[in-house]
Amino acid sequence: MNLASCKIGDQVTLEKILDEQLTVQLYSMGCIIGERITLERVAPFGEPMIIRVEDSFISLRKNDAENMIVKQ
Amino acid sequence: MLSNKQLETVSEAPQIKKSSGKRLLLVGNPNSGKSTLFNALTGLNQRIGNFPGVTVEKKTGQLKLGQEKLEVVDLPGTYSLVPRSEDEKVTYEYLIDQNRNDKEEIVVIIADASSLKRNLLLVTQMIDLEYPTILVLNMMDIVERNKQKIDIAGLERELGVPVIPMNARLGKGVSKLKTRIETFDYIPAPKVIERHEEKNQLKNTVDRFKRIKEILAKTYHADGPAKTAESTRKIDKIFTHSVWGFVIFLFILFLIFQAIFSWSTYPMDWIENGFLVFGNWLGGALPEGILNDLLVEGVLAGLGGIVIFIPQIALLFMFIAILEDTGYLARVSYLTDTVLKRFGLNGRSIIPLLGGAACAVPAIMSARTISNKKERLLTIFVTPLISCSARIPVYTLLIALVIPAEKQLLGFNLQGIVMMALYLLGFVAALGTAMLLKYWVKTEERSHFIMELPIYRMPRWKNVGMTIYNKVKVFLFEAGKIIIAVSIVLWVLSSYGPGNKMEAIEQKYEQIEQDPSQELSLTQDQIASEKLEASYAGHIGKFIEPAIRPLGFDWKIGISIITSFAAREVFVGTMATLYSVGDEENTTSIKEKMARATHPSTGEKVYTKATGYSLLIFYAFALQCMATVAIVVKETGGWKWPILQLVYMGALAYFASLLVFQVFS
Repeated sequence: MNLASCKIGDQVTLEKILDEQLTVQLYSMGCIIGERITLERVAPFGEPMIIRVEDSFISLRKNDAENMIVKQ
Repeated sequence: MLSNKQLETVSEAPQIKKSSGKRLLLVGNPNSGKSTLFNALTGLNQRIGNFPGVTVEKKTGQLKLGQEKLEVVDLPGTYSLVPRSEDEKVTYEYLIDQNRNDKEEIVVIIADASSLKRNLLLVTQMIDLEYPTILVLNMMDIVERNKQKIDIAGLERELGVPVIPMNARLGKGVSKLKTRIETFDYIPAPKVIERHEEKNQLKNTVDRFKRIKEILAKTYHADGPAKTAESTRKIDKIFTHSVWGFVIFLFILFLIFQAIFSWSTYPMDWIENGFLVFGNWLGGALPEGILNDLLVEGVLAGLGGIVIFIPQIALLFMFIAILEDTGYLARVSYLTDTVLKRFGLNGRSIIPLLGGAACAVPAIMSARTISNKKERLLTIFVTPLISCSARIPVYTLLIALVIPAEKQLLGFNLQGIVMMALYLLGFVAALGTAMLLKYWVKTEERSHFIMELPIYRMPRWKNVGMTIYNKVKVFLFEAGKIIIAVSIVLWVLSSYGPGNKMEAIEQKYEQIEQDPSQELSLTQDQIASEKLEASYAGHIGKFIEPAIRPLGFDWKIGISIITSFAAREVFVGTMATLYSVGDEENTTSIKEKMARATHPSTGEKVYTKATGYSLLIFYAFALQCMATVAIVVKETGGWKWPILQLVYMGALAYFASLLVFQVFS
């Protein structure tokens, strides 16, 4: 399952990131494998979305969320 | 006790005891309060290079500690030393630059203590780079509010660097930091991790977070989720709402607009009157002659035309600083990303685009946070189309000239509507241009919009004040320098002419003055305008007049267009100088003088509605700003894009003005 298919309010665990550039960016912001992620908001037209990692809020686009493999 | 491994580190440590003083490098994540600390350390002893040659991010200042003066460098905020965008690269390259070894350096890392884990990544990287490091834990007030507990001594022990708790907003902990800097003696800290080769950066990061988790397990405790994050979530339910979010954003824009164009009229009137009074006093106090004329008609007229706009510019920068400081600007990026993406831009582009309403130069620099090269290029290309504060003087003057103040359209003041329309026009032109370029510029690079949305905070008024102070200072001095120089050159060019034509005119009118049947006041104006026409400036204006005639511009406007290539606001100064030359009394404002101007051949008014609108459009579109050209050269690394931009915007201005003039006349 990827993050883009989650519903607002879902709490998931990050398992794998499929894109290397995305990995670098997310890692530097403290969003690493094994981290709990909450999908907070989705803007009109399906993107961007806001996720919460611990006490930080990060926005990302749909195609990035599709590259983030998560589990419940 | 030092282990063997740590002893190795000691022998590897760079010997950087230098005699020529100390330098503090401020490093930290974005939104960690770095600028607040910078302001607290340096006060008003700051230097910000906002103009070509120096980057806006490299703020330097001076910190006095007893007898010692330390240089303080504020580096752009970064999450990690693995740079992902241009502005993070600035920090990275500055830090790893081995040539900079003139001074002993101490790195002060400022970390947001309320999200310590993420902030410690950069800290561990700095420690492993073997920099003498002091860690500042900022936002301890939030930590307290969130019921988070940090064992400061434990953290010092685990990391091997001094740790200072702080609340930079209230100045708590600043004096402690100063003492620590004074008595600082570098003891190399143990390496946090064994680093892998360059290409294994990701593995390094994973290792670092593993170690950070170990450290935090011993030194940090939290009771449930952070309160501040919870309240931010609640506020975001409204501010990033699919409908209300946009309504609020538009309302805020409207409010800013109102403030800039109505609240600021009072201080502007005071300044205008002040300059008139001062000019008259100076004109009377100084002995008559060339110097008097040069000062009053040249320099003072040009300068007055620009000082008057300080209230508007200060207000604009104040609003942008507040929006940024509260964390709201990041939400605007979130809201607009979908729309901007369609135009080949990015949610992050909204910050340069909004900032462009103040000044394109820092705005173009702020495009560095956009990591995708194409999106960054497009943002840089279209930002100067947004009406900047330098256009405010031109717009205000021309609108007041051609539209009566009491005229209304659908119950709204027409002057206000035209002003708003010009801003909208700039925004639409920017988006349209981006759309065109989107298909033309090719890239393989993928586009991301990964951005932290900081928690909402009250604006730090000191920071806001400091931003206004710095920006106004730069505007006044940098623009002022150009304006004074241009004013002086212009005054000379318009007071002297080739051959003896000027003398001939004077002689002609001396004879007329003998004739009692002539009305004197009329002659005064006539002499002035005929002399101007015979002057060098007049010749230049006349030379280009055929090219701008179809736009409804006369040779005086032609002179202004040439002089304001340096900077748009010079237009007003030029007009002031052109129309002041020969006005011995200096009693009327530029506006009144321009309103009286007529074409000598036909007797028709020069500033009709058609000419006024045409000129407004010209200034909305043309790239008349040397500073912008220079910064685009620097940011794009060559002349290709600035030249394209110059030609494109020039052509757009010319043909749009042509169209407008033909429609309205």
